[in-house]
Amino acid sequence: MDGIIEILRNASSTEQAIGVSVGGLIGVFATLAFFFVLIAAADRFSKH
Amino acid sequence: MQDVFIGFTSITWKMLIMYGIGGILIWLAIKKQYEPMLLLPIGFGAILVNLPLAIAWEHEGVPGFLRVLYDAGIANELFPLLIFIAVGAMIDFGPLFRNPLMIFFGAAAQFGIFATMIIATLLGFDLKTAASIGIIGAADGPTAIYVATKFAKDYLAPISVAAYSYMSLVPLIQPPVIRLLTTKEERRIHMPLHEKQSPQWLRILFPILVTMTAGIIAPISVPLVGSLMFGNLIRESGVLERLSQTAQNELAYLVTLLLGITIGGSMSAEQFLNKDTILILAMGLVAFIFDTAGGVLFAKLFNLFLPRDRKINPMIGACGISAFPMSARVIQKMANEEERGNIILMQAIGANVSGQLGSIIAGGLVLALVPLLVK
Repeated sequence: MDGIIEILRNASSTEQAIGVSVGGLIGVFATLAFFFVLIAAADRFSKH
Repeated sequence: MQDVFIGFTSITWKMLIMYGIGGILIWLAIKKQYEPMLLLPIGFGAILVNLPLAIAWEHEGVPGFLRVLYDAGIANELFPLLIFIAVGAMIDFGPLFRNPLMIFFGAAAQFGIFATMIIATLLGFDLKTAASIGIIGAADGPTAIYVATKFAKDYLAPISVAAYSYMSLVPLIQPPVIRLLTTKEERRIHMPLHEKQSPQWLRILFPILVTMTAGIIAPISVPLVGSLMFGNLIRESGVLERLSQTAQNELAYLVTLLLGITIGGSMSAEQFLNKDTILILAMGLVAFIFDTAGGVLFAKLFNLFLPRDRKINPMIGACGISAFPMSARVIQKMANEEERGNIILMQAIGANVSGQLGSIIAGGLVLALVPLLVK
């Protein structure tokens, strides 16, 4: 991970923006997926 | 004698243009009812700060009331966070709990933020400014203001104006994009309504867990997420009804009033009238279009994996942009126009509140990631 950050630090603004975009989109999807699991688990738990 | 007429002699053509812009914002607020609570104070603030000598901002080194408000509420990010407490108290996550799949549209419709950020760098903006411009696509005024305050203070005014203007223009921006990307059949898809009620313990636990999760993933996002979820916890606790009502009404109205006029107060002609403002306004529109397209296309992709009787109306994807609850209303109206009696409002609201979550998490991630690459 440190290697990728180091490469992006020396990259152009557009390449940095692409890096932030990939990281950002993965982060948003992963976080909301975690909330989905949380809600689904709570739903299942409340049925018992 | 010259001092007597200093008010006349110091008017410049740029000031006149700003009076025109302020007037247009006030006209949009009153005549078109586009976000009147914000556009009217912004418009008036823009006129105030561009009057000769800008006394409302600063005079002979002494801060005027607009500058005092700016330092007290914008420069330290207080106003957007107070607005978030109010917004949190207004949000009902119930429709999302009944249709948890909708949460993914809140992620997909953040696509516009990132696409716009890339385009902004191609137009010559540095990464921090590009990220602030991209956040207009969060379709969430306080998040846009918060990020712009951290990364691009000089562009706060055009970014705020773009964010709130396009939010109010959602009914005009989204329908053509949706129609372009979907077929009539797709827009007529019915979705079953889940009537089950979510347990209160989940409603209480959810804002706490969301705050903790966001705090662990992107600690810098805690003020954003924390204030939104604090407002929601007040609402859902069931024991703070008066506080919840105060947050939803008095706090929301008062801070919105101060936020609006202060943003207007930052629209000095020298800072506002330049090529970058026009570019930012244009890219704000691009962000909203990409957001809508991202949500709709993701819904279509989702449908490829769902059985025929459980297909999602792809218009729902467009509700993943924050703009709560306007986007959900727009989509319900479109569904009804396509086929009278097709009710998808609850699912649309589920995606819409997910968009609220998605936008602050995207904002938090941008705040966390960008400083890793540029100082």
